[in-house]
Amino acid sequence: MFGYYLRLALRSFARNRGITVLMVLAIALGIAVCVMTLTVYHAMSGNPIWWKNDRLYAVTMDNWDPNHPLNPKTDLPPPEMTYKDTQFLLRSTIPLRKVVMYSTEGVISDAGAVRPMEVATRVTTADFFAMFEVPFLYGNGWSASADQPAQPLIVLSRAENERLFGGANSVGRTLRWNDHEFRVIGVLDDWFPRPRYYDLNGGAFVLPDAAYIPYGWGSELQLFNKEENDCWRPEKLDTFKDYEASDCVWQQMWVELPDAASRERFQSLMDGYWVEQRKAGRFPRPKNNRLTNVSQWLRDNQVVANDNRVLVGLAFAFLALCLLNTVGLLLAKFLNGAAVTGIRRALGASRRQIFAQLLIEVAIVSLLGALLGLALAALGLIAVHHLYAAAHLGERGGYQELMHFDAVGVVWAVILAFVATLAAGFYPAWRIGRLSPAVYLKSQ
Amino acid sequence: MSLDIRPTLSALLRNRTGAVLVAAQVAIALAVLANATYIIVQRLETIHRPTGIDENNILVVESAGFTPRFNQTASVQEDLAYLRAAPGVIAATATNSIPLSNGGNNDSLVTRPGTARHGYINDIEVDEQGLDTLGVRLIAGRNFRHQEIQPALTRNDAAHFVPVIIVSRALGEYLFPQQNPLGKQVWDAFDHPATIIGVVDPVMGAFPASDHPERVFFLPRMPDEFIVVRYLVRTQPGERDTVARLIESHLASSNPDRVLNFVRPLSYFKNLSYLGDSSMELYLVTVTALVIAVTSLGVFALATFNVSTRTKQIGTRRAVGARRRDVVQYFMVENGLITSAGVLAGCGLALAAGYWLSVRYALPRLELYYLVGGVVLLWAIGQLAAWQPARRAASVQPSVATRSV
Repeated sequence: MFGYYLRLALRSFARNRGITVLMVLAIALGIAVCVMTLTVYHAMSGNPIWWKNDRLYAVTMDNWDPNHPLNPKTDLPPPEMTYKDTQFLLRSTIPLRKVVMYSTEGVISDAGAVRPMEVATRVTTADFFAMFEVPFLYGNGWSASADQPAQPLIVLSRAENERLFGGANSVGRTLRWNDHEFRVIGVLDDWFPRPRYYDLNGGAFVLPDAAYIPYGWGSELQLFNKEENDCWRPEKLDTFKDYEASDCVWQQMWVELPDAASRERFQSLMDGYWVEQRKAGRFPRPKNNRLTNVSQWLRDNQVVANDNRVLVGLAFAFLALCLLNTVGLLLAKFLNGAAVTGIRRALGASRRQIFAQLLIEVAIVSLLGALLGLALAALGLIAVHHLYAAAHLGERGGYQELMHFDAVGVVWAVILAFVATLAAGFYPAWRIGRLSPAVYLKSQ
Repeated sequence: MSLDIRPTLSALLRNRTGAVLVAAQVAIALAVLANATYIIVQRLETIHRPTGIDENNILVVESAGFTPRFNQTASVQEDLAYLRAAPGVIAATATNSIPLSNGGNNDSLVTRPGTARHGYINDIEVDEQGLDTLGVRLIAGRNFRHQEIQPALTRNDAAHFVPVIIVSRALGEYLFPQQNPLGKQVWDAFDHPATIIGVVDPVMGAFPASDHPERVFFLPRMPDEFIVVRYLVRTQPGERDTVARLIESHLASSNPDRVLNFVRPLSYFKNLSYLGDSSMELYLVTVTALVIAVTSLGVFALATFNVSTRTKQIGTRRAVGARRRDVVQYFMVENGLITSAGVLAGCGLALAAGYWLSVRYALPRLELYYLVGGVVLLWAIGQLAAWQPARRAASVQPSVATRSV
């Protein structure tokens, strides 16, 4: 029976070529716009380390101006911490892992035949790689003992290793970073967390740094944070030591707390420290010490721009428009063929059989529309990718990375497309199935 | 001339489904059209705010010293001397920040020493060629003099201020409402005083995305040594790219103790700052065009269908005396009725969507001009889309009525 219905459907398409093409196109356009928008939205709103959502916490303490919160609307503490506060918390043994870090820039020279170039470099404690589950292609990270006193070890990103050493295993090779000799201890594999949750300064969709060096080099070489240095009160900052002793925030801190008990212990450590420091005249604002998990962190920092939510709404409005269009066309098409349907009913086809046959027709249209829609979406995403590349926005390569399909997204899109169109075809098929055959036979 | 609305309407009501579907499409189309156009216009206004800066003829050069031998002061002097003498260059300055790039420095300024501060004000370090390099216009006072340019802040001496500053008109109005800011004193974060010697307008600072990008002041100082050194270079119109190639090849090798990070047009940084707005605009324009296309197809398809299923009735009407014009008019009126119902519902939908956007996403409330424009446009589209099918209906011969099938 199915094969017969299929043949009928194909014949009916051949009879109404224009209208069939229009229907497929309408569905395809609606699906394409929806898939494109959702792909970007999905990539932006994802939590790239969701499996650690109940273990990873950003550490923040509100040391800001007594008269003016940093964020009047949300009352969130500054996203970064002062040097002296991170130094105290780093000594705690409660967290399984703890990371203090910031991004700076350094010139890499004397590496192969490549000319010197300044690259984004992360100054970080050793736990960074294990805590954020960073994959290594060659070698590994440094041990905690290399942080302080700082050892001349450096980890390169895969792309940077490609640039400097042509992608060869460079572990053990030496290079100069800001004119100091460093030894390569590890090379990362491809790693593009989107958004770059662990440090949102400088943009949520920028690429990870090209190089990583032990935390102790920050004080040793007097390295500033290149993205964000925020001070709420005038302090005399004549030297780097002054800066480290100041109330300026510029260090990003994360801890891994494996269970609720350790979390509570760490929170009370922060609160106890806060009380003590307050006695000494610091922390003039009400107590606001936070441990924030990744998904809340992304919400707090408004990683998904309002624009993207508006666009998702718009995409669905457009899909609704396209589906309404298709329902109208299907109805017109079925009514046009009502005479044939009437004859088939008169010859003994049941309502259910008519319905099944028409639904198969709808299913084919929806499948074609969905496939074409996905193809259009892929083309659209490629076009967007080239548009960004053409604008020489390579530095913000993270945006281009957003434009990739992800398999789960595609599966959802296909299901969405198919179900939406079937639902759209349901009413016309049902309506025609209910027509009394006599009316149409009479007019013959 | 009567439009025969009553019979058209009653015929419509007898066969509602198709009409309802088209009206619903028109309603959604209107809601999308009005709101999307409104957002597009706003973004365009944001992108094209006056900056006062000669955006298209400025190059940004970034250089970073990285060896202990690197002497920043000497390097800056040498580079500036080279840049100013290069062919095609009008003016050049060293600076700490890139205008319009959403990255830069802030300070707090108050009008009485020791008073509470709130908010930050963008500051840009330049030398005596700074204003000419940017191309901003001095509307009062004077420019910096060469001897007023202060030495750079260093790691061991980072708390100096400058004796004189130049402010934007907007900052002057903010600090000294209804007064002439020229000659007035302001105090920096360390309560060091400076005198305002000039006012420029219009100008946009380093932070286009901030609430007040037009509040900015210029400091006569060499760029500090905590970050890389940047130069702004203004070229003769049309020679920007030639100059870029020339100075890039020179500066890349002129000093082995530093690297040249880039030589890029200022417009690169502006485009990057407005990437979100321009992507949004492109997307909205595309979807709006698709909405219009799909809606017109929907109207056209229904009208075509209506004509083809009513061939016999049209023939009958023609046979009993209706003129071609009457047939055309019938279909146009029918289409008008459907579109009117659609835009009526669409007005409600558009206002609801506009209200929701303004509450939920803090966008400004939809202005009614856009709604009126959308209504007129959709009406026109509806009539245009119905025109061809209506003409075809008019060509039905009266003799059709007498034939069966």
